Amino acid sequence: MGDMLKVGIVGCGKIADFHALQIQRIAGCEIVGVCDREPLMAKQLYERFPVKQYFTDLAELLDTARPDVVHITTPAESHFDVARFCLEQGCGVYVEKPFTLYAEEAERLVNLAEAKRVKLTVGHNDQFSHVARRMRALVEGGYLGGAPVHIESYYTYDLGDPSYARALLGDKNHWVRRLPGKLLQNVISHGVARIAEFMTSDSPQVIAHGFVSSLLKQIDESEIVDELRVIIAEAGGTTAYFTFSSQMKPPMHQLRLYGPKNGLILDQDHEILIRLRGQKFKSYADMFIPPALFAKQHLGNLLTNFRLFLGRDFHMDSGMKYLIESFYRSIREGTPVPISYREILRTARIMDSIFEQLNPNRSQDHFAVQPQQVH
Amino acid sequence: MNNLATNIASPESALPQHESFIVGPDDRILITGAAGFIGSRVLQSLLDRGFRNLVCFVRPSSETAGIETMVERRPAGSEIEVRSGNLLSRADCEAAVKDVAVILHLAAGTGEKSFPDAFLNSVVATRNLLEATLRFRSLRRFVLVSSFAVYSNREKPNGRILDESCPVDEHPELRGEAYCFAKVRQEQLVGEYGKSAGIPYVLVRPGSVYGAKGDITGRVGIGAFGPFLHLGGSNTIPFTYVENCADAIVLAGLVKGVDGEVFNVVDDDLPSSRQFLRLYKKSAKNFKSIYVPHSVSYALCYLWEKYSKWSHGQLPPVFNRRRWHTDWKKTRYSNEKLKTKLGWKPRISTAQGLRRYMEACRRDGRHA
Repeated sequence: MGDMLKVGIVGCGKIADFHALQIQRIAGCEIVGVCDREPLMAKQLYERFPVKQYFTDLAELLDTARPDVVHITTPAESHFDVARFCLEQGCGVYVEKPFTLYAEEAERLVNLAEAKRVKLTVGHNDQFSHVARRMRALVEGGYLGGAPVHIESYYTYDLGDPSYARALLGDKNHWVRRLPGKLLQNVISHGVARIAEFMTSDSPQVIAHGFVSSLLKQIDESEIVDELRVIIAEAGGTTAYFTFSSQMKPPMHQLRLYGPKNGLILDQDHEILIRLRGQKFKSYADMFIPPALFAKQHLGNLLTNFRLFLGRDFHMDSGMKYLIESFYRSIREGTPVPISYREILRTARIMDSIFEQLNPNRSQDHFAVQPQQVH
Repeated sequence: MNNLATNIASPESALPQHESFIVGPDDRILITGAAGFIGSRVLQSLLDRGFRNLVCFVRPSSETAGIETMVERRPAGSEIEVRSGNLLSRADCEAAVKDVAVILHLAAGTGEKSFPDAFLNSVVATRNLLEATLRFRSLRRFVLVSSFAVYSNREKPNGRILDESCPVDEHPELRGEAYCFAKVRQEQLVGEYGKSAGIPYVLVRPGSVYGAKGDITGRVGIGAFGPFLHLGGSNTIPFTYVENCADAIVLAGLVKGVDGEVFNVVDDDLPSSRQFLRLYKKSAKNFKSIYVPHSVSYALCYLWEKYSKWSHGQLPPVFNRRRWHTDWKKTRYSNEKLKTKLGWKPRISTAQGLRRYMEACRRDGRHA
């Protein structure tokens, strides 16, 4: 590995732009090649960013540009095969969410990364936003007073967005419909991973209930589950609720942690972190002092956000930049990966369990067929 | 849609006749994006001219009720095939272009903020369509419906005419508009196929297309920051009424001797931005607006551009000097070439068109 970390991107669609934007903000790395089966797509990314070469063949990208790390931003169906190929060639791999389609695939990738002694991570960048990092620091500092007693994660997805909803619902061949968990598989991993981060057991118990919203039923949609409620519990006693909704208003992406001593609320949409004091004030004081303290906390969040903005550090994808930087540091300096493999696998298993319960007959033939052609 | 036929019906004698066309009434004509705002009028314009063998290509997710109505009410003896598919599928493209003599390609990625999405749905889709035509060799003309967005408009002094000879933006990726980038690359692609594969083509660049629906064009101003900022001032707005635009597209596909040409599409008697806004407030809905002089809007675009760069994109570069030159620089427009080479005449006068637009806005309660 030279002075510059050499980066490759496979898959030149919408999400690749976000990666390229963040990578070019990170010192000490360069995008040595981008790759897409569609040459026009590879070329357009190459034209708009400081990229050295573009390819239509993954093997050629790895042979010619020799990246130290590859970002996989292809559709989810191909994540496993592309990641496996890159790991086998000795590259570090950053896989966009969802990590894989099945937990078994996730396990195979983690095992391969460990066997090859290369680093692997997943694009759960929401967990690295400014506000998420502030929350993590408080938890690590013992603010909760112990392991979380209960966790709540809310993740909404507005299907009202006409371009996506129309494309998704109107096109019966849309790739999202081919995923084992369909729409849910493509969107819930951020919200599930937030819970997985604060659990400890490898395979917590999962009870899932999903249904098609009345809105979708009105337009004759019967396949796409867009409302999901999940209870997650582990032997150690920590429990969690995960709520996914396309209909709930206001739209929210929230994590609530309740410990034996105090609680925390993270509001991702507004970059707000609120500390919930476990102790009560006496008598009427409990009705006057807490509102003032909450107001003070909200003002503090406002000032923090403003300071970050003035300091040019409040980009919409600041979490992605932080995650990528941390991952690159782990490759260069041998520091731990930013997301532990246990957490990646725990997230994958929770998702697997959810989709199994929603669709007990889902095909597991995937493992019986030959791997997809990746180049 | 139901009133479309009565709205745009005009005497057949007023329309250019078949002897000046490269195809006859029974030759197969494909319209992509046929369910769209302009596409449905293109279909009607072809029917008005007596064309009887039409294929409408629509996305599976498109609202096709309007087209279905037109199919039901089609003139006796005419065939309209509504084909649902995806231009990103080569198989769908091949099925659509089989035996087609003229393609009027309107489908595009519009309104997308993502560069790759706009590029995919415009450029890659167009490449698939062009490749498919090579298999059948029946194509006599490919019409790409592009946009004024492709012009750079930077080199000319204020107030000069923007016509077909003006340069296209050499670096559309710097405009901060995915649509502009996709359209420039789409035009280049068609030009390359014209040269390398000998596909006869015509480029049509409409200005601001309006009709009995649509928002106030950004060339007049923007309401994204709360109060409506009136940026156009005394600028002429390059309006073209949707039926007039559809006629221009159809003629570009039919008239002999215009292969390789580019046509701008704007109507006659264009209003200034200030006139339009005044009319809108009077006829449709009154609202508060703040006039931003050109020097100030230029300075704001400059500052936004610099800040975006300094902050590494903390604010995306959606306002910049390149965009100012295209959207808000004082410019005049010409439709001379359209009239002389294609015999185009606007069916709907600007006064009529604006009246219809304002009525629709008032009825829908729309405002900026």
